Amino acid sequence: MSFVRRYWLGAVAILASGVVFLVPFAFIILTTFKDQKQSALRDFSWPDGNHLWSNILEVVTTRNWMLLTAFINSTILTVASVTLLVIFAAMVGFVLQRRKTRFNGLIEFLILAGLMIPPAVVPTIWLLQGIGLFGKLHGMILIEVAYGLPFSIILYRAFIATIPRELDEAAIIDGARPFDVFFRVILPLLWPVTVTNIVVQSVAVFNDFTNPLYYLPGNANATVQLTLYNFQSQFQTSYNLLFTNIALITIPPLLVFLFFNRQIVAGMTAGAVKG
Amino acid sequence: MTKTSRRIALACLSAGLMAMTALTGVAHAQSINLTYLIPSGADGVAVAEELVKSFEAANPDINIDIETRPGGSEGDNLVKTRLATSSMADIFRYNSGSLFQAINPAQFLVDLTNEPWQADVQASFKQVVTAPDGTVRGAPMGAAMGGGIYYNKAIYEELGLSVPKTWAEFMANNEKIKEAGKVAVIQTYGDTWTSQLFVLADYYNVSAKDPSFASRYTAGEAKFASDAAALRGFEKLQETHDAGLFNEDFGAATYDDGLRMVASGEGAHYPMLTFATTAIAASYPDMLDNVGFFAQPGDEADLNGLTVWMPDGLYIPNTTSNLDAAKKFVAFVASVEGCEAQTRAGGASGPYLVNGCTLPDDVPPAVSDMLPYFAEGGQNGPALEFLSPIKGPALEQITVEVGSGIRPAADGAALYDEDVRKQAQQLGLPGW
Repeated sequence: MSFVRRYWLGAVAILASGVVFLVPFAFIILTTFKDQKQSALRDFSWPDGNHLWSNILEVVTTRNWMLLTAFINSTILTVASVTLLVIFAAMVGFVLQRRKTRFNGLIEFLILAGLMIPPAVVPTIWLLQGIGLFGKLHGMILIEVAYGLPFSIILYRAFIATIPRELDEAAIIDGARPFDVFFRVILPLLWPVTVTNIVVQSVAVFNDFTNPLYYLPGNANATVQLTLYNFQSQFQTSYNLLFTNIALITIPPLLVFLFFNRQIVAGMTAGAVKG
Repeated sequence: MTKTSRRIALACLSAGLMAMTALTGVAHAQSINLTYLIPSGADGVAVAEELVKSFEAANPDINIDIETRPGGSEGDNLVKTRLATSSMADIFRYNSGSLFQAINPAQFLVDLTNEPWQADVQASFKQVVTAPDGTVRGAPMGAAMGGGIYYNKAIYEELGLSVPKTWAEFMANNEKIKEAGKVAVIQTYGDTWTSQLFVLADYYNVSAKDPSFASRYTAGEAKFASDAAALRGFEKLQETHDAGLFNEDFGAATYDDGLRMVASGEGAHYPMLTFATTAIAASYPDMLDNVGFFAQPGDEADLNGLTVWMPDGLYIPNTTSNLDAAKKFVAFVASVEGCEAQTRAGGASGPYLVNGCTLPDDVPPAVSDMLPYFAEGGQNGPALEFLSPIKGPALEQITVEVGSGIRPAADGAALYDEDVRKQAQQLGLPGW
């Protein structure tokens, strides 16, 4: 009896999260096996016949293998912008937290403004055109970094506040220069919050739809989220192909998470007792 | 780790980042490259690909890349943004009529008035891609559409019904269908835009009674609530709801459900634009012969005709990289070969607006039912949104209310007049 009393809440939670997460996923997987006609019903039913392979083939080869280009682009975009985000946000967070100057208030205001004020599309494009980065992946990476930076800085700054100042001072007395203090002493200690940043920002950048739509025109620049529009329109949608596409672009991040799950969780808990 | 190896690692990391970003961009040698922006969707892409293929076969030195964009209001934003930032594709497809006026054609688009192929484009289309300064800036892309009512031929045969010419006949048919235990009228308010059809497709009947309605409406003199002919559209919607003719799930059903129901005989009538024929052909090819079409019936049989929606236009922005090549492509689309390529790829969904274009003999019944309205002696006229720049943005919400029985017809019409007034004031029209 005490077993039931102790664990019933946990069991309910697991059941609820199973329903919330697994049922939609099952719906996606079932739909990828259906043909156009059955998928248009959009019901939770067993597929008649196996159309998975023909669906995958059509999704991958559509628009001259656009999905492959999109995967390459999205991978570059996500990896590059998250790398830059982590380095820059950690640096800014470190300086902002350690060095008190009269500009701190202004800088903090600017960071908050970056979070609160929605970015305007047309002036951004105008600026990008001026420096020759419009419609290029480099420019898109910089935009993702700029949009993600305020949130990451706030995360880092709060975490750096928990690292004792004595560590920096000890390093400086031992002869470390500013870069050494940051890269060899502070950055390794930031691993837990870095993991959080990597996970949150990768998901945001990989799933970004509107920004690539406006800032990255052209087929050669397509990202995975934009390929969804190959099968969906205002008046006609091929649900079997749409869901196959969704499944294909959901699986890589899912695999990454499954494989690195151990490291992510280990990183979070290891950091928690350090410092 | 030593200092130098750390430096090297950092350098490698940044070099790697640069190298990854440099992977993009493929160079084509010595041919002219154009881009062509179209709304997404499998059917539209197939037509564009066929057009480009036929065009490239005739012009081997020109290479056209198709880009897609979302439809709806997201697409409107994108088109306006790309025009405003001079980053528009070399040729693009976009709505004609009031949405065409909203992208400021005189400022952004190339003047196509004096192109030789304009001689073969029908005047009714030219009128909807003419900028305020009187210049024609587009070419027809796609077939004309009718707004009316799809019906299931199997149900009509089974119950021995005939195509109604007047509203009274239509309602009588509906009663018989309802008595036979079937759904008489399909409504799909899950996609709210589908709710407007009874009102919008009634416009031919309005103009037949009151030919000056559009100009008086633009001038702010005629109103939906006070003009008896115009009010009929709202009243028809209310009548069908009050008679209990709708499918049970009319509030949640979607456009796709509506097509399936009318094709498979789960319902008898579905008010819709005829572009749906292509969608039925794609999703339910074996039931396509079951679906017929008629114009929305009016109160008098001899005044009945079809309300016509003009197809999209093809436009060239001022910023095009190669104007001559872009004009060549537009000329190709507006030629007889262009129509044939469109029919090959997407099937025929209605008559084309280029003289000399013909439809194949084996068109689906929903298309052949539409042709008499365009033949000599047939009656058709453009929808109100092509005759007047004002279309209130809230019409679909209002028609959902009227169609769901929440708001009476007269009340809905008055509310719509108010919605229209706001838009006319935004456009700065005189008389409001």
